[in-house]
Amino acid sequence: MSDSSSRRAFLKNGTMGTFAALSVGTPAAAALSKEQHDSPSAQASKKQADQHEVQDEYDGFSRYRPSRGHDPDSDYYIGKRVPGFRNPADGPAPFIANDLDKLPWKMKNGAKEFHLVCEPVAREFLPGHWMNVYGFNGSMPGPTIEVTQGDRIRIIVHNELPEETSIHWHGFELPVQYDGAHTMTQNPIKPGKTFKYEFDVHEEGTFFYHSHIAMQEAFGMVGWFIVHPQKVWDPPVDRDFGVIFQNFRIDPMQTVVNSWSMDWNWHTINGRSGPYATPLVCKHGERVRVRLLDFSPVQHHPIHMHGHTFWITGHEGARIPKSAWIPRNTELVGVAQAADFEFIANNPGDWMFHCHMVHHMMNHMVQHVGPRLREDAKVDHYLTSLDTRPRVKMHQDPQFGIPGYPQKMQGMTMTKPMMKKLWSRREVKGMRANAMMSMAGLMTSVRVLPDDLYQRVMETDEKVPKGSIFKEIVKRFGTIEDYEPAPPDVMQKMLNDD
Amino acid sequence: MSAFYFRKVLLPLVMLGGACVPQLLRAQDAFPLVPPAAEPRNVETSRDQVGRRFIPPSSFPKSPAGVEDLMKQETPQSLETDLTLDALLMMATENNPTLVQAQQQIQGTLGKALEAGLYPNPTFYYIAEQIFVDSETDTDTPGEFQGGAVQQEIVTANKREISRRKYQQRAKTAEWMAVAQQWRVCNDVRIHFWKTLGHRQIVDIRRELLKAAEDSALTTREQVNLGQATQAELHLSNVSLQRTRLSLLNAENMYRSQFAMLSSLVGVELEPQPLKGKLVADMESMIDFNQAVENLYSDSPEVLAATAKWQADCITLERERVEPVPNIFVKAASGYNHESREPVASVQIFMEVPIFDRNQGTIHQAEADLARQNAEIKRTKLRLRQDLALHYQKYLTALQHVIEFQSVILPEAKAAYANQLDAYKGDRQNWGDVLKTQREYYQLREQYVHHLITWRTNETLINGFLLHGGLKAAESPTPPGHIDSVAQPR
Ligand SMILES: [Cu+2]
Repeated sequence: MSDSSSRRAFLKNGTMGTFAALSVGTPAAAALSKEQHDSPSAQASKKQADQHEVQDEYDGFSRYRPSRGHDPDSDYYIGKRVPGFRNPADGPAPFIANDLDKLPWKMKNGAKEFHLVCEPVAREFLPGHWMNVYGFNGSMPGPTIEVTQGDRIRIIVHNELPEETSIHWHGFELPVQYDGAHTMTQNPIKPGKTFKYEFDVHEEGTFFYHSHIAMQEAFGMVGWFIVHPQKVWDPPVDRDFGVIFQNFRIDPMQTVVNSWSMDWNWHTINGRSGPYATPLVCKHGERVRVRLLDFSPVQHHPIHMHGHTFWITGHEGARIPKSAWIPRNTELVGVAQAADFEFIANNPGDWMFHCHMVHHMMNHMVQHVGPRLREDAKVDHYLTSLDTRPRVKMHQDPQFGIPGYPQKMQGMTMTKPMMKKLWSRREVKGMRANAMMSMAGLMTSVRVLPDDLYQRVMETDEKVPKGSIFKEIVKRFGTIEDYEPAPPDVMQKMLNDD
Repeated sequence: MSAFYFRKVLLPLVMLGGACVPQLLRAQDAFPLVPPAAEPRNVETSRDQVGRRFIPPSSFPKSPAGVEDLMKQETPQSLETDLTLDALLMMATENNPTLVQAQQQIQGTLGKALEAGLYPNPTFYYIAEQIFVDSETDTDTPGEFQGGAVQQEIVTANKREISRRKYQQRAKTAEWMAVAQQWRVCNDVRIHFWKTLGHRQIVDIRRELLKAAEDSALTTREQVNLGQATQAELHLSNVSLQRTRLSLLNAENMYRSQFAMLSSLVGVELEPQPLKGKLVADMESMIDFNQAVENLYSDSPEVLAATAKWQADCITLERERVEPVPNIFVKAASGYNHESREPVASVQIFMEVPIFDRNQGTIHQAEADLARQNAEIKRTKLRLRQDLALHYQKYLTALQHVIEFQSVILPEAKAAYANQLDAYKGDRQNWGDVLKTQREYYQLREQYVHHLITWRTNETLINGFLLHGGLKAAESPTPPGHIDSVAQPR
């Protein structure tokens, strides 16, 4: 039904079209609507019966280019109430927690019945780095529970841990006997035993479940509990992402969490560390919500997003009335707090999305001194013969005269299999060749891609060379003359690793 | 103007001048106590208060003389040398002077045996008696008798033969002592061979430890630059570096001294050079304590010498018991009697009559000596058992350590070091911790060599009848005392 050649021609030519689109909730339809936009005359005829009208521009705010709008008091200032393409009649956008499964349920005796198994889990924080944590149903964080406001739910918890546990339903106003507070409201669930939680959900919003044993929390026992509202929130969003930020203390050369520590050196987003945490990919012009939960043992996270200004539209307690929404670039999310970020993805590119605490932008920190930073010294020389060792050169690099040198993180070496695994994910296709070296710890990215590029990345299996999508975005929206691709040596290395 | 200047110059001036507080306060306002962070580096820093501004790491301490040469040495992989243990033992057999001494002790004693068995010489007299006696036929004769006499002592009761047997038996004692001396020399050569080999290895290990200390000092400098170590830690790393350098020199001195001892024992002045041999030996059978005691009692040259000496003492007693049996002296003369004017002859037979001196004192002494020697045999055995207990304990402990170092401790320490290196390579370990484990592994290797030396030394001693002291003068088999101090040995 579309003339794809003309559409492609439009997209390739890279004009920042100001057009309104009609969404019917699928990517293909969205693409179609944009294309239709090319001829303004088509616009009126394509209006849907539900009257969900989507414009390119609202009071000076454009969904397709960085813009603020004309008036801070306007409903559309920084895209505040600018709707997504999704038709509210289609219900809420599907909730996406990358790298996590959804917990299936069956209707039984008038309730949605879920089964949660508490158990030790090995989680691959980074390719090849398997860490020993606790979780649910083989996963850390646990699988996502997703229900709708008004549901009656029954959650049968099996304890396969070697010790007692109990599960707390964080934020629910439920009968006290199901609150999961260990020994205060229930007897602990002994190893091998089962406990049934059953209650009505009258709330809507961002919730989570977790073990109510402190050390087990430090071991990662948490999962999303998303309650979609019966009356879909306005304005509708096209993407509903969930990311759980966590910290762990795992000592050097260890894989077991040291829950006793007060210091934290491994950081995960949905159970994976940057750059293994999967980017959040959306389309240019979409309204995006990111729900972010800080489930770290003791650390708060100032979450910063590049390239966009977002509205804080909800916390874990409740959806915030629009009058109280606030725009931010960085939101401090405290332990056991959640925050909903909403924004119009009007600035294409691969945008850093990360905790701004310096030590949370690294993993397994070790002092970067020793042979790795010395000229002509290699750890391999030490490994070839363990009974004798190379002699160090007792003179130092003249740069050691400068206090603080070196600050560069040295030798964060990624092996070939590691690189292969990182690049094998659809969501990272076409990013700059050295992108994987830039993300560590609580760092991931939000990728805002024009329609056709989104399709190439997310919906086709065609080979997308590293850096090609990024370069294309620069070409269309930036100044390609100033663009420098990743250094060839890095490029070559990455390509070899393919 | 720096805080240093303020403290050292202005403040004393103000104080000396009896200036009042307001002036001091003004001075403080004018010169802030904390200097700006980016101060030029050429300002004299040593007296600055630590931690107020960056002080570049001081230099490494100068190496003591000789360290650099030692660091340049390479451990020869294949030993192109003929200095094996057997060769050294051969050299010692030919050149160690105490073995000559021991031989001469035997010869000397055999000489005594010869002497003691010789028959006494006859005595010749010229006799002129009663000169100028008046005879009836004549007056003033040249004398009544002019002639020659021969006196011979006739030895009774087999005294000569017994004496000869006694010294021959004593020569047997000397022979056992010579055997003991051979063991002393050989054991000592072996022990110092192990020690020299071991200390050579320790020199190599200490060289590796010095490399680790140099790395550690360099790492501390890197850390100072990164704000991860203090000036104090830097100074301490210098201390550690210098001590490790000294310990390498110490090991080298130790090696040289061991080599010199070895060289002295073989009786040839050799220059330090690699030895060919292995400090580690097969451990098929462990020495059994009781078996070792049995061996000592039955085969120890010291026990055998003491027993031989006891037998000589038996003969001594036998000899002293026949001493009172009088020897018979026969004296025969022949000459001319000027009175009767004819040739005459004369015979005398006499002997000592053992009335007062029946040699009872010396017999008593010989009896006592015999009893004493009997006790000496027992004492020797017990002393050997006592020594064995000490050496066996050292042997056993060292051997137990060697086995466990070989099977568990060294492989585990090595694995820990390898783990750490792997982890460091993968950005999962601090270099300081890697160095600590490396140091520990190398120190354990050094301990292992010490255990090997102790094992082989004590094994050698136990198998070699606990004899050592290869340059101690060979002992004389002659006991002190009256019986042997007489002019003619008996
Ligand atoms: Cu953080």
